[in-house]
Amino acid sequence: MTLALVLGAVLAVLAVLLVARPFLREPAPADDRLAEPGELDRRRLELVEERDRALAALKELEFDHRTGKISDDDYRALVGPLRRAAAEALRALEPRAESRVAERPTRIGR
Amino acid sequence: MIALSVAAALAVFILYTAVVGGATTQLSPSELAGHTGHVALVGTVVGPVSGDAHGAGLRFRVKDVSGTSRVTVPIVYTGSVPDLFKVGRHIVLTGRLHGATFVGDDGSLVTKCPSKYAPAKGSSST
Amino acid sequence: MAELGRAALLVTFGLVVYALVAGSLAAWKRRRRLALSAQNALLAAFGTTLVAATVLLVALARRDFTFQYVAQHTSRSLPLGYALSAFWGGQEGSLLLWLLILSGYSALAVWLNRRARDLVAWVVPVLGLVAAFFAFMLCFVSSPFVVAPAPGDGAGMVPSLQNPYMLAHPPMLYLGYVGLTIPFAFGMGALLSRRTDERWIVATRRWTLAAWTFLGIGQLLGAHWAYVEIGWGGYYAWDPVENAALMPWLAATAFLHSVMIQEKRGMLKVWNMVLVSLAFLLSIFGTFLTRSGVVNSIHSFSQSPLGGWFLGFIALMTAATVALIYIRLPLLKARTRLESLVSREATFLYNNLLLVALCLTILWGVMYPLLTQALRGETRSVSKPYYDFFLHTFGLPLLLLMGIGPLVAWRRASVRALGRTFLVPLLAAVVTGVALIGVGLGGSTPGLLTYTFSAFVAASIVLEFWRGTNARRAIAGESLPRAFTSLVARNRRRYGGYVVHAAVLLLAIGIAGSSAYQTVREPAHGLRPRQSMEIAGYTLTYRGLSTRQEADAQATRATVDVTRGGSHVTTLHPGKNWYPVEQQTSNEVSIYHDPRNVGDLFTIADQIDPKSQVLFLKVLVKPLVNLIWVAGFIFVLGSVIAMWPDAVEQRRLAERYAPAAMSAGL
Repeated sequence: MTLALVLGAVLAVLAVLLVARPFLREPAPADDRLAEPGELDRRRLELVEERDRALAALKELEFDHRTGKISDDDYRALVGPLRRAAAEALRALEPRAESRVAERPTRIGR
Repeated sequence: MIALSVAAALAVFILYTAVVGGATTQLSPSELAGHTGHVALVGTVVGPVSGDAHGAGLRFRVKDVSGTSRVTVPIVYTGSVPDLFKVGRHIVLTGRLHGATFVGDDGSLVTKCPSKYAPAKGSSST
Repeated sequence: MAELGRAALLVTFGLVVYALVAGSLAAWKRRRRLALSAQNALLAAFGTTLVAATVLLVALARRDFTFQYVAQHTSRSLPLGYALSAFWGGQEGSLLLWLLILSGYSALAVWLNRRARDLVAWVVPVLGLVAAFFAFMLCFVSSPFVVAPAPGDGAGMVPSLQNPYMLAHPPMLYLGYVGLTIPFAFGMGALLSRRTDERWIVATRRWTLAAWTFLGIGQLLGAHWAYVEIGWGGYYAWDPVENAALMPWLAATAFLHSVMIQEKRGMLKVWNMVLVSLAFLLSIFGTFLTRSGVVNSIHSFSQSPLGGWFLGFIALMTAATVALIYIRLPLLKARTRLESLVSREATFLYNNLLLVALCLTILWGVMYPLLTQALRGETRSVSKPYYDFFLHTFGLPLLLLMGIGPLVAWRRASVRALGRTFLVPLLAAVVTGVALIGVGLGGSTPGLLTYTFSAFVAASIVLEFWRGTNARRAIAGESLPRAFTSLVARNRRRYGGYVVHAAVLLLAIGIAGSSAYQTVREPAHGLRPRQSMEIAGYTLTYRGLSTRQEADAQATRATVDVTRGGSHVTTLHPGKNWYPVEQQTSNEVSIYHDPRNVGDLFTIADQIDPKSQVLFLKVLVKPLVNLIWVAGFIFVLGSVIAMWPDAVEQRRLAERYAPAAMSAGL
């Protein structure tokens, strides 16, 4: 059926257009490089994840202590190192925040 | 540590299938001759079908599902007969050879549905 | 119109191959516009696949028998709903459904994560590769758009498929199977783009959970269909096709748990890559099993040519995945180590080991016939006893772990605190065990253990909610109900997870009750009218036969009166239907849902002799079996809670991955 073939051709044309769109919109771009996180960004991401992990672990510890899964002694023993780890992670992120022009107060936990 | 545990688990079930022998041999009618042990027979139903599965036994023959062998084996079976059972269908049943006749285990007859998504069972229960 | 369908699929094929090739090039050479172009190709592929799917749907609705597929799977008298469901009833259509869902998921996943440009740049070609395989099959090997001279009427649909559960079962399963491709693609994308952060996990967390839920529900629907429609008295037979769905589900369950450890402690990175790949490969393998006829199964298929292609694809993907993980091993070094064997991380690890062990055992059982044939020239197969043994060996400890996990703290649990937290659940378990033995249910060890462990788990879950609520009240001074809701709202994943555990618990209890404690009776010489039989306190009296004509079948029913202790309970009508168009008999079981044991009185008319009126009746009493279906609903509830969007968490994650802060100042 010719209708089917016409519709098929239309489909193909639309597909090609969509695929070519990025090239049609910017025939001569200033920069065609695919953005990827540089060393600095990777390091920052690592630290942010480190920080979030440390803070979450502290929260968990608190909760486990409250619900009686960790005894008072164990809590006292564990909370120190965890707090230090969290502080370190936060501190490691600070220098990066200074180098940013538009400083936004980073939200820490809840 | 993880690798060790997985290896241990593997060892457990290889041991089980080998030693405890939970496995059954599957044969087609052309391969059946001479096997006197308890086996599973896989084949296509060949008529005529006679008898009563809830009486003296349903009698029919099976031949190979595929291939050119013309060997047919007579079967005697008692127990549940699945609805899809008829001449030309693929079936599986467990049992053993008594002389020239394959006597099926009660309720072990399972019929395969020709269409992809519809199974049909005899009586294996879970 | 079939030409349109075929053309649309060809365009799809072109698009996804472009996505694969151009996408890879763009990611490798870092070309922004090319990457965007490849992304667009993937999005467009969904559109063209949708066109192809619509063509098929319309053909099915109109019973256009020039479409060979429509002629093979429908007939004029078939109700519209079932005619449409024939879309996935056959080989070619089901492949199209797979591609449709894959392209839809791919488009959505890529669109939602488009800001993670470097990650998505590699995700696109991976998705393109998988889609290319299915598109290739649809275009060149197994097309739903083959035309032939139209017959007068179609072949019709097998009666047992004309059932609401069968309408929903395949789409649910596919939404699950295919869904596992997304986390896999993101994982491989992360490896290919050399990212060491958790973005791929964060991006696919809900995808994995959703896919896993669909897969679970799909299996429950299938089991329920088998139970009521095929009616042999069971719901799972360890058939390869059933196992095909169970294996990826188990792998995905393991992955869901171990991913939590990676997020919290930065451990198990390699393990998670392996697990997500395993889940994906098993889902493809499952599709292969259901189609290729390679393993003898209740679903018999002729040796389909598809099998070879699928096997090739699986081999290719496995090799590529293994190679990639191996090459990127240095990137996947753990940040921390396991601090204690008595910690929640450790219980998650044990849980993972057990799940994977069970999964591999099932895989072994499925492959055994193939391996013995290849190695020894003789086909040997395993069956129920093998699977039951391992289900008990691995499943029972898993059940217990479900209860132990919540009671143990992260990192390192205090042994002393353990004593206190374990006390109540242990007591619950012991009391239950003793009570059950007292009531005479000690006969089955696995059954007894299941119930005892279940009591332990139930107590532990209840305690978790209880302790958590109390802690919340202490912190925020809220009232009891308010504390409860805010507890769950603030920890959706954890408490949603506990609800899912409760569902698994019900499932375990239901399975134990209906298998370990079921009673079966079938009078060897059948029943004549007015004869009765006894089973588990019921008396069933056979009254007689009746026949009536239904829309497309002749229905024969036996009337069976059920009494207990002298008083009438119900009347059941087991029987058979005869479908003249399809020349097929179907079994119509009759079930009584007994509120007293939350179970079923299940009657099967095994054989009916119309002349002598003799009825060969098989009756099963299956206690607690309805818990299995109830569990399905609770399962969905728990998943929804766990998946529910959390504004605070979203904000935190958005800030974490915000690209703006990164590039400024460089």
